[in-house]
Amino acid sequence: MECGCPGSKMMDRRDEDSGDDPTVAVKSQLRQWPIQLHLISPEAPYYAGADVLLTADCVAYAMGGYHSEYLKGKSIAIACPKLDAEQTIYATKIQSWFEDAKINTLTVLIMEVPCCGGLLHLAKQALAASSRKVPLKAIVVGLDGEVRSEDWVTA
Amino acid sequence: MEALLNRGIKQIIDEHAEVGPILEAYGIGCVPCSVGTCLLKDIVDIHGLTAVQEQELMTKIAKEVYPDRDIVIPLREDTAPAQGGELTYSPPIKKLVDEHAWIKRLLAQIPAVIEKLDLSSESDRRLVRDMLDFIRNYADRFHHAKEEDILFKYFDENLDILQVMFTDHESGRAHVRAIAEAVETQDRAVVCEHLTAYRELLTEHIKKEDEILYPWMDKELSDSQIGQMFSAFADVDVAFGDGPAKHIAFIETLEAASS
Ligand code: SF4
Ligand SMILES: [Fe+2]
Ligand SMILES: [Fe+2]
Repeated sequence: MECGCPGSKMMDRRDEDSGDDPTVAVKSQLRQWPIQLHLISPEAPYYAGADVLLTADCVAYAMGGYHSEYLKGKSIAIACPKLDAEQTIYATKIQSWFEDAKINTLTVLIMEVPCCGGLLHLAKQALAASSRKVPLKAIVVGLDGEVRSEDWVTA
Repeated sequence: MEALLNRGIKQIIDEHAEVGPILEAYGIGCVPCSVGTCLLKDIVDIHGLTAVQEQELMTKIAKEVYPDRDIVIPLREDTAPAQGGELTYSPPIKKLVDEHAWIKRLLAQIPAVIEKLDLSSESDRRLVRDMLDFIRNYADRFHHAKEEDILFKYFDENLDILQVMFTDHESGRAHVRAIAEAVETQDRAVVCEHLTAYRELLTEHIKKEDEILYPWMDKELSDSQIGQMFSAFADVDVAFGDGPAKHIAFIETLEAASS
């Protein structure tokens, strides 16, 4: 995809030392299925009153500790704001988390590439439209898997 | 050095007066604090200094306390990146900070009210009663109740810093009682004395909360606790109905009258 888009700019980091012993088994913290935002129902019991992570598709691959540091104890949905179709359905589902599932908090995890910000934008819009408010947090992840920023945001 | 960290700050300052100004240079105002039983290590922890600032500060204090020993303070391993510039609060804590803004606007009116206060006039007595109504119902029942019944409950209430906050709230209530009595007996001196004292107390109290206590609490609370607290605060807002809005309107009329 040679479109000059920063989100698809190539980066080769094969020469960097990965550090960890790759043979250590890491336990999955996923406690639900499905997870894709088009497939989930906001009224599924695991969203009721939950702390929910709305994670951009690429994040869990970029981060080393996604399961233990972020997913543990939370409910999840994943989406890609750049390539997924029919995103108005996404907005409706996020609003339904706030209003119907009465979720406790929403944390949006996105990559630092500009187009990934669309997912946070969608969440903010849904919160602004919602009659019930909840704390909304944005976590931006770098291409190296490090957290660039973690902030509470207002809709 | 360990031993020093585990000593109460008032005791250290009593023995080594120079430590007071050293702390002050880092924005840590323990000298005028009403309680002062906090341990040095908690004070350093709670003020959110960067690793470098903490190293500098501790080196200066060590030089003061142990002038003939050469103590090298290691650089703390930074757990969180230092947050420079403006403070950002979680949504429920931000609500409390916004409520402080209204309380501060009342405090700002106190000098002008005192200047013209004539308790022989019914309208001035009513003005003081209205101010007390704001303090009792907005600053205390509405705002301090969120702190004491919800926020502080997430922490150990025996913590020195929380004891300081409870003591401040109680002192505020005592001033209010004194003012309420003195209005009825038309004792101008007592009303002015306690209004001024309340203003000073709350100004310092709010500064401590906004700049030290709340940022520290925000770091300690989990996201899940932030969410619970946000909805508990929303319940309080609903329970108080249009009361807070009326109190806010009172501040606006008070300001309009004095300008
Ligand atoms: S928008 Fe985000 S999730 Fe989608 S491809 Fe780009 S980085 Fe990945
Ligand atoms: Fe307080
Ligand atoms: Fe307060």
